[in-house]
Amino acid sequence: MKAVLLIAINFAREQRWPILTLLLWVLLLAFLGLVTDIQRQREDLLFVFKQDAVYVLAFSVFFGGSAIYNERRSRRILGVLSKAVGRQQYLSGLVLGVTIACAVYCFALGMTGSWTLGGAGFPIVHVWFLMICLVAACALAGTVALMFSTFLNPFFAAGATAIVLGLPALAGQIIAPQWGYVIPVWELGATVINSSFSSPGTASWLPVLLAGAETLAFWLLSARIFAYVDIAVAVE
Amino acid sequence: MRFVLEFDDVTKEYRSFASKRLLRALDGFSLNVEAGEIFGFLGPNGAGKSTAIHLAMGFMRPTSGAGRLLGERFGHPGTRRRVGFLAESVALYHRRAERLVRFYGALNGMGGTDLANRAREVLKIVGLQDHANRNAGKFSRGMLQRVGLAQAMVNDPELLILDEPTSALDPLARVMVRELLLNARNAGKTIFLSSHLLSEVELVCDRVAVLHRGRLVRLGRTADLLRAGDQTEIVVRAIAARNFEGAVARDGVVSFCVPAHGQRAALEKVWNLGGEVVSVNPLRRSLEEIFLEVTADPQPAPPEGVQ
Repeated sequence: MKAVLLIAINFAREQRWPILTLLLWVLLLAFLGLVTDIQRQREDLLFVFKQDAVYVLAFSVFFGGSAIYNERRSRRILGVLSKAVGRQQYLSGLVLGVTIACAVYCFALGMTGSWTLGGAGFPIVHVWFLMICLVAACALAGTVALMFSTFLNPFFAAGATAIVLGLPALAGQIIAPQWGYVIPVWELGATVINSSFSSPGTASWLPVLLAGAETLAFWLLSARIFAYVDIAVAVE
Repeated sequence: MRFVLEFDDVTKEYRSFASKRLLRALDGFSLNVEAGEIFGFLGPNGAGKSTAIHLAMGFMRPTSGAGRLLGERFGHPGTRRRVGFLAESVALYHRRAERLVRFYGALNGMGGTDLANRAREVLKIVGLQDHANRNAGKFSRGMLQRVGLAQAMVNDPELLILDEPTSALDPLARVMVRELLLNARNAGKTIFLSSHLLSEVELVCDRVAVLHRGRLVRLGRTADLLRAGDQTEIVVRAIAARNFEGAVARDGVVSFCVPAHGQRAALEKVWNLGGEVVSVNPLRRSLEEIFLEVTADPQPAPPEGVQ
């Protein structure tokens, strides 16, 4: 467990510049909260809040899809896996690292959202529920991307992730809404995107729990695939 | 005899996804490394040295065959707690040297003041004690290699696997590494050293293996390999070179070679002629000569479809 935590914190630390760049958008929301009339501009603030939420989802795929590739290309992976660290532990560290990186952002967004949206009448408890949805969606999206990145380069891994996450959402729109719960990233994202001052949405924990279970499943699948990968072979 | 590293008929093939061609990096490779020795692992570029090391560390799986590291199958994570590894191209995270060494130590389950003290100790051993608080991202290649050595030694390993540990080091640092390896061996550790620096290998290694095109082409004790048959070189002065067949006169001395069994007769002849013996030494070859000899041998053509 100690090794997993070390790898996770190290990963989050290595992503500090993308995270800080992302946090600029949260700063923008805070800035708008400061300079505008919160009550009159509340719809604009909610729009920026939702926009910030979508960015972190995209970044979770970026974090997950590029983690192994970057580590292999820089050959830093050899230093880590030359220690008493199993490949499953290594992947666990990366999954946790992606989740921590996204959770840091979501925490900042939640704090700013509580201040700005809360001040405009949005239920603060619901802001934090949305952040939990967002973290769960990020963890699942990042893990799916990580799974594909064990055998694909980041570009193809991102494409494959988009397909896997998008198909159930599409089926949910076309066939039956239940399909959206098969891989509930879209469902969780929609919870955030569809919330409004008049209807903040219901706090359904089902997609959150499903996302947690599927994150575990995809992590196990990733570990199974990664166990057979020759990590010392040049990735280019 | 306890073996710490065993390769048993290991073959490793790489398949190119685009061209479907097969590259055989190791071909039926077998080798045993004994506990407590410094083992030199030599071979030209592309011979399969790094592949063998990566298999031992569990970074990849053999296509066929098997191997054991400290008695456990290759790739067993718990075993790596007792191993120190330095990769050919040192790649480290950009953080302070001491923190970096502690990070790698912690991955091996170390912690607390033991780890902090050990990190400082190994940084001192590699001569970086004054740079412990500097970011490794700003280090030169030689300094990075030394931090790499420090992280490999932080867990006080039984077996050190070093892939080109001195390639970026200056002569002073090379001497430091040589002494470090000898001290480690004296402390009962085993060192598996892959290097192109044949003079270094010649100085420190107890046994040497030469790999060529994925096959083991020479294996033996360094002293035995360097001995050039049973020839002895005799250097004398105050006699003419013509008295001995094949003798060469240079800078006032005459040197010639005789078989070991003819050494006594040759020395008596020198004394009878009024000459003075300067030195008598068994004739040695250099590792470089052996290396060039065994790697220049034509190899049989690889099987169909194999590069």
